[in-house]
Amino acid sequence: MEWKDVIPVIAGAVVILVVALVVKPALLGEPIGSPPVYIPPAPVPTPTPFPEDGEVSARNFRWTAIDGGVQTTEVTVPEALFLAHRGTPRFSDYTSWGRYALADADRPVLEDLARRIAPPSANPDEGYFRLMNLVFFVQQIPYDRDDNTTSYIEGVLPRHAMYVKGGVEYPKYPVEMLVDGRGDCEDAAILMAGLLDALGYDTVLLRYSDHMALGIRMNEFNPYYAKYTPRYFTYGGRHYYYVEGTDFEWSNVSVGSTAIRGRPLAIGDAIGTGLPSVQSETPEIVPLRYIPVPGEYRIRPARLPAGGA
Amino acid sequence: MGMDPDSPEPSGGLKIPKLPDLKIPKLAVDRRKALTAAGVAVAAIAVLLVGGVLAMSYTEGQQVAAFESHVAASEADIFLVYDKISAHIRTPTNDLSVAECDAHARELAAIARYGRDVTAYHRQIVAADAVPEAYAGAQSAYVRALDNLNRAFTLWSSAAGAYEMRDYRAANRNIGEADSAWRAYAAAITDYDRELRAAEEGAEVPPA
Repeated sequence: MEWKDVIPVIAGAVVILVVALVVKPALLGEPIGSPPVYIPPAPVPTPTPFPEDGEVSARNFRWTAIDGGVQTTEVTVPEALFLAHRGTPRFSDYTSWGRYALADADRPVLEDLARRIAPPSANPDEGYFRLMNLVFFVQQIPYDRDDNTTSYIEGVLPRHAMYVKGGVEYPKYPVEMLVDGRGDCEDAAILMAGLLDALGYDTVLLRYSDHMALGIRMNEFNPYYAKYTPRYFTYGGRHYYYVEGTDFEWSNVSVGSTAIRGRPLAIGDAIGTGLPSVQSETPEIVPLRYIPVPGEYRIRPARLPAGGA
Repeated sequence: MGMDPDSPEPSGGLKIPKLPDLKIPKLAVDRRKALTAAGVAVAAIAVLLVGGVLAMSYTEGQQVAAFESHVAASEADIFLVYDKISAHIRTPTNDLSVAECDAHARELAAIARYGRDVTAYHRQIVAADAVPEAYAGAQSAYVRALDNLNRAFTLWSSAAGAYEMRDYRAANRNIGEADSAWRAYAAAITDYDRELRAAEEGAEVPPA
């Protein structure tokens, strides 16, 4: 055997080793493409504000403050805003009705109204009176069912009224209730939530089988003068006290008189409403601000393999 | 007239030689050349054996190195996602307006998409790794961890979609299922650590 016979054998072995150790890993070892990158959400254009100098819908409210004084307050709402709300389809699921109370377009009207009903005060002791004036103001707005045409300033049911089992459902934006000057339980709860949120109170909606009321967050509210045990519900570790939105304690001024006098149904008073559901059921709590919040999100670092080439 | 059996003559006229006429060629055996050939053969077999063992060992080491680099790349990218999640979760949400709530949900959707794409990308790479048999358990557990993480991000994405549709119940349901997927991911990482330790120590994997 000559060296010329050995060389091809050695060369073949070298080629096999090169292919096995270099070429194959190079072809198979590298990932395909590049890692994905984060794409932030596209910004949503800010909606054009409704012109304040355009047509407005106005309504005068004559109401009694908790000190017994009769007040008058005019509310003006841009006509375009009111019509835009009337043309907006409603959410059939009440878990999202908190969005109505916090509607950005309604905020200026609610902040202005809250300032006039409950003027800012340097005295912190007046906070409770300011709160109760707002509550009492909403409680005095006449109640009207969603299926009554009298509940709407146009005198007809709105285009987006929802026909449900047992009647009609039409949750109103706060300014709709103010322009209509009436509404039912969820409308009052939504308006009251919007006004109190404008003052910085933390509130939720309390949903019963046949009723909706407001829950206001308070710490250990138990006034010595209350003739009832204040009712509250716990949500997220916080106490929300029951507040009725559609009624107040009233009586005729005198026998035969149509004039009435009254005082607000107090915070935590769930008995004064007289509704069996309110006294027997535990309501579903509907937060005004809902965002999906993950409970678990921790990354566990994985140890890397040792002993590689 | 019969045919001579020793010298058959077919009809074509060709003459077939008698077998005794065939001669075995004589080989002139050269001792030196024979030893050289044997030596070359032994050397070639030895080279192939040693080369094979070395190649196998080198390949296994390279496979582990590739697996390590892919897990490292995966971890690095997952922690980039985690940075986004942490910043998102830390954002105060107490007094958000409706528009801000919507923006917050859109950010969750974007992070979920990012996390889903990152986990799918690295899952494809890690799962395609050829690893030594001892590391198969660790590879499988890590791929399972990525699968669970991918599912969690997909459910976050669904929750954000349900929020957009104002179906808050569905959003809550998706978030709850995503929490379960996160827990399954954590369990898979624990399995991975155990399998990896066993592969490196050459021990039997204790039961979970």
